[in-house]
Amino acid sequence: MQAVAGVVVLASLYVLLGVGYVLVYRASRVLNLAQGDLMMVGGYALFATVTTVSASPFIAVPLALAVGAAVGVLVYALLMRPMAGHPVFAAVLVTVSLGILLRVAVVLVYTDQTRYPLPAMDLSNPPVRLPGGAAVSALDVVTVASAAALLGGLFAFLRLSRLGIRMRAAAERPLLAAQRGIDFHALFALSWALASFAGALAGVLYASNVRLDPSLGILGLKAFAVALVGGLDSLGGLVAGALIVATVEVLTIRHVNPLLSDVSPFLCLLLMLLVRPWGLWGTREELERV
Amino acid sequence: MSLLDVRGIEVVYHRAATAVQGITLDVPAGRIVALLGPNGAGKTTTLRAISGFLDADDARVTDGDVIFDEVTVTGWLPHRLVRRGLVLVPEREKIFETLTVTENLEACRRGGDLEAVFTHFPALAGRRRQLAGYLSGGERQMLALGSALLCQPRLLLVDELSLGLAPIVVRALMKAVRRLRDELGLTILLVEQNAAAALEIADHGYVIENGRIVHEGSAAALLAHDDVREFYLGGARSRTGRTYRDVKQYRRRRRWFA
Amino acid sequence: MAYGSGYFKTSYEADMALVDTRLRRLALAALIALLAVLPRLASPFVLELVTQTALAAVGALALNMLTGLAGQISLGHAGFLCAGAFTVGILTESVKAPPLVALPAAAMVGALLGILVGVPSLRLKGLYLALGTLAMHFVVLYVASEYQARWGFNTGVSVPAPVIAGIRVRTGVQWYYVLVAFAMLTTFLSVNLGRSRVGRAWMAIHDREIAAASLGIAVARYKLLAFVASSVLTALAGALWAYYRSFVSVEAFSFVVTIEFIAMIVIGGMGSTLGALLGAGFVTLLPYGIDAVVGALAPGGAAPYWLFPLKFGAFGLLMALFLVFEPLGLVGIWRRARTWVVLWPLRYAPLRTVR
Repeated sequence: MQAVAGVVVLASLYVLLGVGYVLVYRASRVLNLAQGDLMMVGGYALFATVTTVSASPFIAVPLALAVGAAVGVLVYALLMRPMAGHPVFAAVLVTVSLGILLRVAVVLVYTDQTRYPLPAMDLSNPPVRLPGGAAVSALDVVTVASAAALLGGLFAFLRLSRLGIRMRAAAERPLLAAQRGIDFHALFALSWALASFAGALAGVLYASNVRLDPSLGILGLKAFAVALVGGLDSLGGLVAGALIVATVEVLTIRHVNPLLSDVSPFLCLLLMLLVRPWGLWGTREELERV
Repeated sequence: MSLLDVRGIEVVYHRAATAVQGITLDVPAGRIVALLGPNGAGKTTTLRAISGFLDADDARVTDGDVIFDEVTVTGWLPHRLVRRGLVLVPEREKIFETLTVTENLEACRRGGDLEAVFTHFPALAGRRRQLAGYLSGGERQMLALGSALLCQPRLLLVDELSLGLAPIVVRALMKAVRRLRDELGLTILLVEQNAAAALEIADHGYVIENGRIVHEGSAAALLAHDDVREFYLGGARSRTGRTYRDVKQYRRRRRWFA
Repeated sequence: MAYGSGYFKTSYEADMALVDTRLRRLALAALIALLAVLPRLASPFVLELVTQTALAAVGALALNMLTGLAGQISLGHAGFLCAGAFTVGILTESVKAPPLVALPAAAMVGALLGILVGVPSLRLKGLYLALGTLAMHFVVLYVASEYQARWGFNTGVSVPAPVIAGIRVRTGVQWYYVLVAFAMLTTFLSVNLGRSRVGRAWMAIHDREIAAASLGIAVARYKLLAFVASSVLTALAGALWAYYRSFVSVEAFSFVVTIEFIAMIVIGGMGSTLGALLGAGFVTLLPYGIDAVVGALAPGGAAPYWLFPLKFGAFGLLMALFLVFEPLGLVGIWRRARTWVVLWPLRYAPLRTVR
């Protein structure tokens, strides 16, 4: 039972991170390898607001999330929009540079000392007993709830609202969208803002639940493996992929070797690439096959 | 009075290749104007230049102006032009294939009612929830026209309406286009390789070859013009009295003198 | 190539010659002479910089063959380096193998790994291939770290100085000659491959794989060949790195190292040998340049704590700037300057070509 709880919590974290990958990939066919660093920036934004603005979580958390979303918009406007006509690989490399720059900026301001924002907000993280004898922390529960809420909200938004339909249209054919009056640059900026928001949410939760230091970006790399396993342009696939990879990882930690569990998302990814490269629910035509 | 006034535009791709040069068109309000020409003449480029290029196209209007409703709109981005009422129905990627028909129309809607589109194009009404990627060619064209209509255009640019469609479908679509002009008062610039179908509904026409306008006139004058008839309308010379010139292996050079 | 006027090739040999004009021959001779006597003229520090650049150049040239010429995007470059270095480390430590055995072994391990990484490339392209190679990189690092944790005293494996052709290569000058010679050989190999049938096949595959296949090019074979050629060279570079540093540890082969090499070919200019060399020099010397600038602006005193992140961030920033503003890289700038000089006072805006 503890294992199941662990899987669900880990999968929720992967979902929060993976949402960013899927949104950005659907919008502009770019894999944002800086998603993990955006998560780290979200965590540090929380730390910054807690130490400078207000220690109340009701102010600090929304402010940190807003900062995260704003960073996403800035990233799009300054870095990704000029890369509009360039090949996709170049855009991916730009996101890698972005990750480096974000990390450097954070280290310059906050050094690599590990931080703990939770006590600064006068909150604690008590364990929660679950039926079956498992125990998780309160923030673990919040993580799972946030992931579910975010997913539900995004599904509804993209399927039902007019703005969501427009986003899907702009993602499929930007030129046609422009010719139909849709300002796709604004919509792509919105995708990046949402992706960054999701990353910041993951960062805020992880920083409060575990710890905060500049190397958090590594989790982002594991999350991209998850996103690929599920299918880079499918939110539903992301859930499935997250559950599968989280299961493999937790089982590996418990029964094999903790070092191997760090690599297990990539082993899953390799297996997926050999068998079904477009992921569980991804769109097949994204891929040219020999 | 002319709704669209294109004055001597020149379009250069990749800063190296001139696609069209010295294109001057005039589209009066409430009329249908046809732009005829062979493959690669520059018709699509002209329409794209009028309706706006994206940064990613690496194309620029290096000379001349496009004046829409007395406002110079050269180099504007497409979505700005749509807000002013200049809408393009493109030649190839004209619908969103992963969205349903209803979603396609909703995405484009700036005002107006979806039902009006289904009235104009009844064939779409039965396929509201179908993915647009599964529509047939004629239905796609109808959906493209319908979604363009929902952008509330004043000037509609239509690129190759008849491409790849059966003659009966082409006739129906052309009738629909003429109805749009009659009922909604739309102004339409129609680019066509199928000159016969286009000149049937057009009021005025231009012929473009190798990036330049080579001839213009009213539709009736074009239908009667010898060279237009030989090169674009399938040649309507009489069967008797064929001279050696008619069966020569090389094509007679076009001389665009009235 | 932009020539002045007056150069006419009158025989096949002349056309195929690597260095064709007299000016180029003179320049090459001068360069070789300069490299030969550099140890006499330059300080040990400068020599060390050139040595490091030479080693980086080999890795950059190998990556250029794979990603620039053949278009197979690989994010696992550090994995090949690691494999080569660890092969040397393991062999030297466990069986005391001499370089004559360890170096070819490293090359073979590199080749095997190249095939392993190359097989997915037969099915995947573009982004998916890049991510597959990235996943492979993490797996290779994991294997290496397992070895290091069990047998490497947890911090790494130490490697004694190698004996090559009877000489114990230990001093900076000796390493300079060895690594610069290696870099020159690799440059020669790279240029020759680029203008041979193999190179043309790679470029065809890069541009349009289906068209290449329909022209009769054995796509699968050439793709694997690209991976193997690149991985063998990189593994050898890693092996020499192990000897040069006398120490091998997993931490030195993180993802950042891959990014450094990619930055080299991006900043230098993808698909061009000169670009790989320029990029290797640029990225290797950048941290020292920043040191020099900071030292000049704020002389004396200890290095501020923000210097290390600044150096790290600077090359990320530069890579982003080059990607956005100058996709053709340093080679693009060089070619534009050369065209301007050759064509002056005539001017025309050149077509934007990839190579």
